[in-house]
Amino acid sequence: MPRDEIPPGTLHLLILKTLARRGELHGYQIARTIQQNSEDVLQVEEGSLYPALQRMLLKGWVKAHWGTTDENRRARFYRLTPAGRKQLQLEQSQFERVVRAITRVIQTA
Amino acid sequence: MMSLSEIGRRVAMLLRRPKFDREMDEEMRLHLELREKEQEASGVSAEEAHASARKNFGNALALREASHDSWGWTWLEHLSQDLRFAFRMLRKSPGFTATAVLTLALGIGANTAIFSIVDAVFLRPLPYPNANRIYVIDRTGNRIGGSSISPAIFAVWQRQSASMFDHFALFRATGSVKLTGPDEPQLVPSAGASTEFFPALGVQPALGRNFRPEEGRPGGSHVAILSDSFWRSHFGGDPNILGRHITLDGQPFTIVGILPPGFVWPIWSAVTPQIWLAVQVPLTSDNPSNGGRLAVGLLKRGVSAAQAEAALTPSLEDLRHEFPKMFSRGERAHLVPVRTFVKQSAGTALLLLLGAVAMVLLLACANVANLTLARSATRQREMAIRNAIGAKHARLVRQLLTESIVLALIGGAIGIIVCYAVFGSILSLIPADIPHIGGYKIDAAVLVFTSVLSVITGVIFGLAPAIGASRVDLNSSLKEAAAQIGAAGGRIRSVLASVELAISLILLIGAALAVQSLTGLMRTPAGFDPSNVLTFQVSLSGERYGTAEKRSDFFRQAIERFSSLPGVDAAGITDTLPTLNEGSDVLFAMESEFGAQGGTQAHDADIRVISPDYFRALRVPLLSGRILNPADNASSAPVVVINQAMAKAFWPGQDPVGHRIWIGKPMGPASAEPAPRQIVGIVANMRQDSLAYPPSPSMYIPYEQTRYTDSEYFVLRTKHQPLLSVPDVRAALHALDPEIPLTQISTMREVVSSSLKDWRFHATLLGIFGALALIIAAIGVYGVISYSIAQRTHEIGIRMALGAQRGDVLRLVIGQGMRLALAGIVIGVLAAIGLTRLMASLLYGVTPTDPATFIGVAMALAAVALLACYVPARRAIRVDPMEALRYE
Repeated sequence: MPRDEIPPGTLHLLILKTLARRGELHGYQIARTIQQNSEDVLQVEEGSLYPALQRMLLKGWVKAHWGTTDENRRARFYRLTPAGRKQLQLEQSQFERVVRAITRVIQTA
Repeated sequence: MMSLSEIGRRVAMLLRRPKFDREMDEEMRLHLELREKEQEASGVSAEEAHASARKNFGNALALREASHDSWGWTWLEHLSQDLRFAFRMLRKSPGFTATAVLTLALGIGANTAIFSIVDAVFLRPLPYPNANRIYVIDRTGNRIGGSSISPAIFAVWQRQSASMFDHFALFRATGSVKLTGPDEPQLVPSAGASTEFFPALGVQPALGRNFRPEEGRPGGSHVAILSDSFWRSHFGGDPNILGRHITLDGQPFTIVGILPPGFVWPIWSAVTPQIWLAVQVPLTSDNPSNGGRLAVGLLKRGVSAAQAEAALTPSLEDLRHEFPKMFSRGERAHLVPVRTFVKQSAGTALLLLLGAVAMVLLLACANVANLTLARSATRQREMAIRNAIGAKHARLVRQLLTESIVLALIGGAIGIIVCYAVFGSILSLIPADIPHIGGYKIDAAVLVFTSVLSVITGVIFGLAPAIGASRVDLNSSLKEAAAQIGAAGGRIRSVLASVELAISLILLIGAALAVQSLTGLMRTPAGFDPSNVLTFQVSLSGERYGTAEKRSDFFRQAIERFSSLPGVDAAGITDTLPTLNEGSDVLFAMESEFGAQGGTQAHDADIRVISPDYFRALRVPLLSGRILNPADNASSAPVVVINQAMAKAFWPGQDPVGHRIWIGKPMGPASAEPAPRQIVGIVANMRQDSLAYPPSPSMYIPYEQTRYTDSEYFVLRTKHQPLLSVPDVRAALHALDPEIPLTQISTMREVVSSSLKDWRFHATLLGIFGALALIIAAIGVYGVISYSIAQRTHEIGIRMALGAQRGDVLRLVIGQGMRLALAGIVIGVLAAIGLTRLMASLLYGVTPTDPATFIGVAMALAAVALLACYVPARRAIRVDPMEALRYE
């Protein structure tokens, strides 16, 4: 099954959406969730998750705290903030608008 | 926009970089391990799982950096890297660093010093709340007498002022009052102000109160406001000072206020006034003469200066009808913002110096750019390697620029130290009559200027070399030897060296012209003999000297006593000393015009009040007739002695002795002397106003025949060093009246010398700048030549191996240097011809394009350039051909 790079600029959206749906997750869980939910089509260069998460921390869209995993390992967990929720709505509607437009262009062409 | 909380998060981040790295590492490690475990669970071998997890993850180190970069602190970290690197590089080449820093320190230090002066004169804000609405009000277009605002004009204007001004006041230029009391009597600088003066400036006394309206009218009580510094120095800052009496000019004054500490008034205050007295303005117009006063007003909001001028001007016309002799047709009121007034009086000299010192800095920049270029040639390989391992072009430029700016900042810091060290001597050169706001000092504004200047300097001299050096051709740079790459940079460096010579030539010509003016003035025959002459001032005031007779008596006795002192040959008095430009003009009528009432023609000449022995004390020769003698007193016929210039101007081809003139006659009966004076003698000309001005028509009247004798200078010809007679003089004076202060004690030579203070100021500073420029340019030429020799060692070796003689090599090297020097001199001469015109008003006895000066300076500069070439050239001829050939 072919795997595709995620379109540029959508990583934030994917992370925000994932956190919105699943609550508190650590980095690996976020990467896994994105892959699974896209039925393994979307391939994140997994490491790039981390600069993105730092960016979002800076923007105040997510909050992080250190906790333990089910296997009792130390891990940093990320959670959406109200600002993040707002950002998610914004990016999602933006994305949908773009996709609709592109779809229209492709179909009429 | 960055939100406040975001800034907070950024700053918190900056402070915990190590923890950040640790946490990122831990987080990523966990990710990799979990991924591996998952892969293994799906049946992949351990190694494969490990490799695949890593492959999918990407470069952990780069990702950690990228994560960190998200926080936006990269620039700061690069900066600290660049700084550390810059310091390391500068430490590694101490010779380069020392030369560059020293050059920059001289350039920046000189600029700091001049800036501190310019700041005080042109830039520092006036410490008044509504400074932009405060205007000085003068009148223009007066062709008869002085142009200042008399109490009469002021009184008329004051009545009209309410609609245009919030406050309208008169002030009197700084003079001095005699303070007597328990201590030795002393003269204290004092100025006068009318009631609204301080309110117009928006200044409240720190202690006590302002002048009251009734104190500003004739007959009002005598009150004084003291400056903060005088209050502290003289009364120890006594808080109970108010209401205390002091005796000024023999009259009691009550202290009613103390000004705030920072109070300044820049106009007509060469000396800071310490005591402010209420100017008493008559309510009715009387004699509108009286100079040394200007009005000052706080314009109402919404009223323009032009409107106020238009409103005040008509009353000048009314006054002209009342006093036709004092006013000219078409006089106008003239409003000037205080700040502009200060700037105008400062004149062009300061701007000229600013230009000169900026050139010195430019020169320093060119020189350091040159050094940097030379060094960048040797660093080409380093740049190529850095480029090859991934440093971006912009990053390299930034790094090199950081080095330059660090250099410039160090130079600036040392420059400030240099400036501090020599500041005292610079201050002593500044003429006192340049108005300034609150003194010259190296304050925060100056330090900010210097820092900004340093950074700009760093960018100027660093940018071109940085861009040049970072744009390297990887292949050739890594392969070739440093020597061959420098060739292209060499051309720029030669051009820079030529430009340096051109700039220093301009400065040197300016300096030479100023120095010639000064020495020319010092050689100018003054018309009198200033050697062995003691001068001092005696001012008479108070009841004891209330009449002209009483003052005459005092001076007669004093002259007698001084003349009989053992060390004194002759003793005379004069109201103004020669060369100090303090004379006053007066209008007079010639005998043929005495009868005319209205249309008397006004002639104008300088007038001085003297005693008979004045000419003998100064050794001014009598040309015709007789000099004054003690018999010319109040009861004898009025007489006058004139100078040769006056005889030539008014009685060409005749002998004026025996003719009569009537002083003050053209100004109407109120101002005219009671009777005409007979001319009894003609003396030789002397340069009374200034050594720089040709003698003007002057007349001398005996002190016993005038009432203008409140303050006179004594002029004593002594047998020995003049100052040795001071104790005798003081004793003799105090025997007459112990309450009279002896002030302005000086020798006539010092007086003449101090009259040249402006000239010396320009000449000294331009001379210093010229010398700095010469040194810097010489270093520049030396650097270019010796560097080019170092690069051409190989070539020179071959030439010598092929039979070139040492003379040939010498000619080759020096020829290169002299071509460069010649280009610089030609450019410099052309530029100087254009620029020295700007300093025409500051020259005496030499034209701005004086050929001898131009040729002389050009040759001197060529000689210095030759020397700067010769030293390294001698090294070139000592090259051993074998060495040189092996050197590659």
